[in-house]
Amino acid sequence: MKKMWLIGLNTFRESMRKKTLYIILIFALIVIGASKLFSFLTAEEELKMIKDVSFSAIEFFGALMAIFGSLYAISTEIERRTIYTLLTKPIRRSDFVLGKFFGVSMIVLINFILMTVFFIGLLFFKKSPPDLQVFKTLLLIFFELILISGITLALGTFTSDAFNIICSFFLYIVGHLTSYGKELVERTENIIVRGLTDMLYTLVPNYENFNIRDKIVVGLNVSWGYVGWTILYGILYLCIALYIALYFFEKREI
Amino acid sequence: MAIIETKNLTKHYILGKRKVVVGLEKVNLEVNEGEIFGILGPNGSGKTTCLKLLLGILFPTAGEAYIMGKPPHDVDMKKHVGFLPENPYYYDYLTGPELLQFYASLFSLEAQTAKKRIDQLLELVDLHNAKRLHLKHYSKGMLERIGLAASLINDPEILILDEPTTGLDPIGCRDTRNLLLQLKQQGKTILLSSHFLSEVERVCDRIAIFHRGYLLALGTLDGLNSQYQATNLEDLFVKTISSFDNQEAAKTGDVT
Ligand SMILES: Nc1ncnc2c1ncn2[C@@H]1O[C@H](COP(=O)(O)OP(=O)(O)O)[C@@H](O)[C@H]1O
Ligand SMILES: [Mg+2]
Repeated sequence: MKKMWLIGLNTFRESMRKKTLYIILIFALIVIGASKLFSFLTAEEELKMIKDVSFSAIEFFGALMAIFGSLYAISTEIERRTIYTLLTKPIRRSDFVLGKFFGVSMIVLINFILMTVFFIGLLFFKKSPPDLQVFKTLLLIFFELILISGITLALGTFTSDAFNIICSFFLYIVGHLTSYGKELVERTENIIVRGLTDMLYTLVPNYENFNIRDKIVVGLNVSWGYVGWTILYGILYLCIALYIALYFFEKREI
Repeated sequence: MAIIETKNLTKHYILGKRKVVVGLEKVNLEVNEGEIFGILGPNGSGKTTCLKLLLGILFPTAGEAYIMGKPPHDVDMKKHVGFLPENPYYYDYLTGPELLQFYASLFSLEAQTAKKRIDQLLELVDLHNAKRLHLKHYSKGMLERIGLAASLINDPEILILDEPTTGLDPIGCRDTRNLLLQLKQQGKTILLSSHFLSEVERVCDRIAIFHRGYLLALGTLDGLNSQYQATNLEDLFVKTISSFDNQEAAKTGDVT
């Protein structure tokens, strides 16, 4: 348990010093900042715009960080062969995998906090302090980002980097389209197509569940019940992803 | 009893449906407590494969490996082992002391003990003047030396070194050789590999010659020299390897 922490902290420290992820962060801050440039809008419309763009930016750039952070967490250790030294220390392979997950989660958390603080600052600046609904939206975005990290990490234990990136982005896109897909499929008669898509629907992480910003931006409320269930869904899915990661990494030759 | 032991240790790398590369073939080794044991062999002879199998980085196709009577995946056994990989490479953005501190923490060393050891080790490998330099800026020889320090952080009873002299200049080689002798005097067991017959190999009490995954010869240098009527290590090396190649060629019907 403690060793997992140490490995996570080391991962976090390295990536903070490497500064590559900062580029994504800076980009995100620019996008969030730019959302207030639409001064021709009425005050109310402008606020909607700021929220909409900021939520989207936090989610999208957060997802980029989660995917690239997880990808590099394991693959650079292997590429750089630092993993040989690490795995010959008295640690279990599970300490390594879970440590990497914690490290990436910390990176995602820090970047998420920075973007969020910037966004909330902007809201205060516009004299519209964030309400509870804004926090619910952010909370769900954060859990989505953690789930994305877990899934990319799991893929990384048994696929190549290139395949992992493609898969992670594919899941990211499809995972956001699931509800559209479901609607479309409901209209088809073909049983095979239906069966296949039904299966896909259950297997693919339903990232769209975590997206309540469309509702929040237009002033609708989302219940805590929904938020709670969605977080539970995220945690369950994450556990499965981490279990897969542990299973494959245990047998992996390096 | 042997402190490191392999029994018919075999590793075949499966590269495709019908393509298999022999990494190691039925190797039986016993390294005794307190000796310096050298695995010598040309590039691709299976030295690294053998060490990785012992440490659980690779899994054997067949056979067994034991360190202190424990299988490679045993976590507690690793507390007593230090390992220096081939061409070591570490975290670019850490400094030498930070790297050692990180490894010390994985051995759960106490802060006081760790700090003292880190200072001693940096002194020992002559890197105490580079304390604030990120490893990114280290030269190959410096990496080899910080690697050696890292492998000693837990004061291991068994030291496993994969090509410890590859990146070193003649002075570095001499220093390493002296260090190995000093460690031996402290009662440590050392298993090292090399493809390169420098003086370091001459500190070995016993050597094993690997070729194409096979263990061709094993014994003390003097013993092997007289067995193969060789005059020195280099001669021995060439003789064992070419006689193996000739036998193989004869088996497959080639004329040499
Ligand atoms: N991961 C791997 N996949 C396929 N073949 C490998 C792998 N690692 C080593 N080999 C092959 O196994 C043989 C022994 O390699 P190795 O143990 O690295 O030799 P050495 O350390 O003596 O140079 C070589 O033929 C090498 O090509
Ligand atoms: Mg090698």
